[in-house]
This record gives sequence, structure tokens and C-alpha cells, in this order.
Amino acid sequence: MARHRDLIFGLALLALFVTIALLGDVLAPYDPHAFVGRSLERPSPAHPLGTNDAGQDILSELIHGARISLIVALGAAAGTVALGTLVGGVAGAAGGWLDGLLMRLVDVLMALPRLPLLILLASLLGTGLFQTIAIIALLFWPTTARVVRAQVQSVRRRGYVRMARNFGGGTGYLLRRHILPQIGPLIAASLVSAAAQAVAMEAGLAFLGLGDPTAKSWGLMMRFALNLPGLLLTDRWLWWLLPPGVCVTLLILALAFTGMGLERTSHPQLERRQ
Amino acid sequence: MKRRVLSYVLILWIVLTINFLLPRLLPGDPLAALLDPTNSDYVFDAEVRAALEVYYGLDRPLPEQYGRYLLGAVTGDLGRSIRFNRPVGELIRTRLPWTLLLTGAALTLASLFSLLGGTEAAWRRGTWRDRALVVVAMVVGNAPVYFVGMLLLILFGAELGWLPLAGGRTPFAHYDTPLAAAADIGQHLLLPALTLTLALLGSKFLLVRNNVVGVLGEDFMFILRAKGLPEGRLKWAHALRNALLPFVAHLAAHAGMAITGAVFIETLFNYPGMGRLIFEAVGARDYPVIQGAFLVVSTVVLTANLLADVLNARLDPRLREA
Repeated sequence: MARHRDLIFGLALLALFVTIALLGDVLAPYDPHAFVGRSLERPSPAHPLGTNDAGQDILSELIHGARISLIVALGAAAGTVALGTLVGGVAGAAGGWLDGLLMRLVDVLMALPRLPLLILLASLLGTGLFQTIAIIALLFWPTTARVVRAQVQSVRRRGYVRMARNFGGGTGYLLRRHILPQIGPLIAASLVSAAAQAVAMEAGLAFLGLGDPTAKSWGLMMRFALNLPGLLLTDRWLWWLLPPGVCVTLLILALAFTGMGLERTSHPQLERRQ
Repeated sequence: MKRRVLSYVLILWIVLTINFLLPRLLPGDPLAALLDPTNSDYVFDAEVRAALEVYYGLDRPLPEQYGRYLLGAVTGDLGRSIRFNRPVGELIRTRLPWTLLLTGAALTLASLFSLLGGTEAAWRRGTWRDRALVVVAMVVGNAPVYFVGMLLLILFGAELGWLPLAGGRTPFAHYDTPLAAAADIGQHLLLPALTLTLALLGSKFLLVRNNVVGVLGEDFMFILRAKGLPEGRLKWAHALRNALLPFVAHLAAHAGMAITGAVFIETLFNYPGMGRLIFEAVGARDYPVIQGAFLVVSTVVLTANLLADVLNARLDPRLREA
């Protein structure tokens, strides 16, 4: 029951964010880039969360922020898992020196401090949504690669797979029939955890001023709010800083719970240990 | 162990090489931009420009540049900051202790709390208190660290006014005794360290809790209990002790997490450490500083990795041969 509770909670919250992102144009009262009010208005019926220092509607920014976060999450997670599965799959299937070489590469990338490397890359590559996605995917694939490699190796050694090969099963057949179904749930779980990390990293880069400066993301909203001198000394943070922070946290939690639920569904033996 | 040390030296060399190659391979070479009068990043100070050109030896062949770069890195010469017109090594020397203080304090506190709290929670697994702690750990561990920091700042700094809002110590302060200096630094350290502790506690607590829960299901625990061992000994001398190995194995990963958190926290609290230095350097396009800081932080994290490996091998005899 517990595993379903995690999964259902995560998926429901995720579905809510996806709906908000898809229906953003309908739900948002204004264009988030348009100057629709005076600067720094307090919440009112016209602007439920007030306006920012430039006179843009904060609620509309918040709704459109879901889109940025989810685009980056989807793009970066897909890139991470594609790269990780490719490298991990090749290493696990090939073995030998190629396996050794690829895994040393994984070791190096995993030993490096990620954020400083991320900052170095972001400052060299320039800022933009695509760059953000590419940088995250480039730095986060080793985790997936390691898990996929371990699983491919273990599946390959199992009796029924060896038997299938002895009976003349080709590489393509073995992959399709035996190996892919075994690593499928693992890939799904990696996809979700990579998405959670991507949401956190995108918001973080935007907060540090290394994201796309034109994309209205939650991290950027927090950055601009905090740049207002003395923001913390007034109650303005309540409708300007708190909502994007809560949204980032909830989206990451939604993905974390979905990932935990998926992991338990694919490893029922974890259930007993809880 | 020798092989581990060697592999870390190899990784360090790869880091050095990445640091050398990245700016030269990527489009929009920052150094070229700095020396190009038509570019907006052009360095106007002729003296700095000359120093840059000489230091990076841009007119020389690539292998020679690489050799000079490696020699410089080994001897601690990391180039000159464009913004401050001072050696990068000197800047880093004044900043690194602050980051080590912050991350060291947070890692110690988080380890202590997670070992105690995680064991207690595992002991009471399934109760509402355990569940509440798990949910809180999930939320705190997953919330962006700068967001948690902002909330703490608002509560303790702005609303209650108990703690200073920013900085590493009171500006222009003159201390009469070393004790007064320590008290001031400690007061400024409290909020940033608390924020980082909370961020680390999220994953550390869950790690300890889940490992102790795993140990609780082992046969030897059943036998020890049947033998009539007192509760306290069972809990601390046996359950926790056997859950320590994975905890130590994750220390290196947590050191990396602490560095990541420190970048955000120092930026938020205006704390004068390496993270803040990196952030300021990015804003000013001060590439020598960004690269130097990346090198030093990588070295610190790799050293932490190596120390964790040594500690792990001492604790777990099975790892000693590997």
C-alpha cells in the first residue's frame, strides 16, 4: 500500500503541474512579459499576487514558470537517460577494455564537484534554455550509466539469457526480448530522478544568474525578488519569494515521490525492509 | 590503497586538463574576447592585458601553453584576476578558509544529528513520529537550499532580529580579544551553517534511518535481543554501528553536496567564501578566477573523497585489499 501511496501522490502533483504548464495561456491572467500594472503593487483582485518591480503580474509569471521548469526537466532528463543508457548499455554488453575505459570516465565525472563544473560550463557556453538543458544532461548521465551497466551485466549472466544465446538468439533478439524489459523499470526511475535534479539545477542556475535571462523561470523570479534591496524586511516576500520557492520544492517533491514509488514497484523486496 | 591514490592523481590531472582545454575548445574563447578591442569584454587596463597575454602565452604553440599551465598550477600560480588585478591564488587563500569553516561545521552537525535522529527514527519505525520525520527530511532535503536559507533569514534575521543578515563578520570591526573575534564570526556563521546543515540532513537522515531499519531485520539483532541485551546497547552499540559503513561510504558524496550548497548559501548570505567568489567572478566574467576556483574546489572535493576512502578501508576490512 505504501508504495502506491508514494506513486499516487507524486503522479497527482506532477499531473497538476503539467496541466498548469499546458493551460498556462488560458490560466494566466496576463502575459508574463507585459507591463500591466504599477511597480511593486500589493496583492489585489486584479493581481492576486501583486506585481514585481517592473510592473509585471507575478501570478502570470508563476504559471509560466511551470512551463520552463517542465521543459528543462523533460529535455535534460531525456538527454541524461539517453546518454546514460547508451554508455551504460555499451559498457555492460561489450565488457573488456571498452567497459573499463567508459567506467573510468564515469568515475571521473562522478568524483568532480558538479556545481562548480556546471558554473564553469555555463559561463563559457553562454546562457539559454538549450544550453541549460545540454549542460545538465552532460553532467548527470554517469549515474544512469552506472546503474544500467550493472543491470545489463547481471541480466546477461542469468541462466535463461545464456540459454537463449546458446539456442542461437541474436544480439537484437536478446536485447528486445530479455535485456530491455529488464532495464525498462530502471530507466523509468532514472528518468524521474534525473528530471528532479534538472528542475533543481535549472532553478539554481537561474537563481545564480546563469540561466536564460528571457525565460520567466521560478529561479529567476527568486533572483529578481531577492535583488530588491530590503525585500526581507517587508512582507513583500510573502507573495513574491514564497510562491516560486514553494512551487520548485513541490515539483521536485512530486518527482522524488514518483521516483520512489517506481523504484518500489520494480523492486518489491524493498517493501519488506520499510 | 596505493591504487586509489593513483586513481585520484589521475582524476586530478584530468581536471587540470579539462580546465585547460575547455576555454580553448569552446566557441567564444573568453581570453580572445578579453584581448579583442571590438568586444564588449575588452580589458582596458593595458597592464592587466599585458600580464594576461604573457601569463597565458597565447602566441605560443598549444603544447607549450599546456606545459606552462601545468607548471603554474603545481606551483600555485593560477593567473591574475581581471577584476581585482591581483593573483588568483592570493584571492583564493583569503576565501577558502571561510568555505572550509562553513562546510566543516555543517557536515559535522548534520552527521551528528542524522546519526542520532536516524537511529531513533528507525527504532520507532512506522510510528507517526517516524513518518513525520521522514516527510520533513524529504521536504527539507529536496527544497532548494537558497530557498530554505531565505526562509531562515526572514525568520531569524529580519522578523526576530536575532542574527546578522549577511557577511562573515561585522564590517570594520576591531576585536580586543581573540574570543570576541570568534564570537562575532560564530554569530555570522550560525545561519549559513544551519541552512547547510538542514540541506545535508535531508539525505543523511534518510540514509541512516533506512540502513538502521535494514540492520534491525538481521538475525544477529534477533539473537542479541533474545540474549537479553539492554535496549541502549542494542541500539547504539549494534544497530547504529552496523549502519555506519554506508554512512562513511557516502561521506564523500556529502562533501560534494556541501560544496554545491555552499555556493548558493554564500551567495545568499553574502558570505566571503569560495562560492561567493565564484558567483562574483561569473558576474564579472573574471575567467581566471572562475577557473582557479574550479581547480581548488575540485582538489578539495577529491581530497575529501580520498580521505573517505581511507576511513572506509580502515572500518571495513573487506575493502583493504581492493
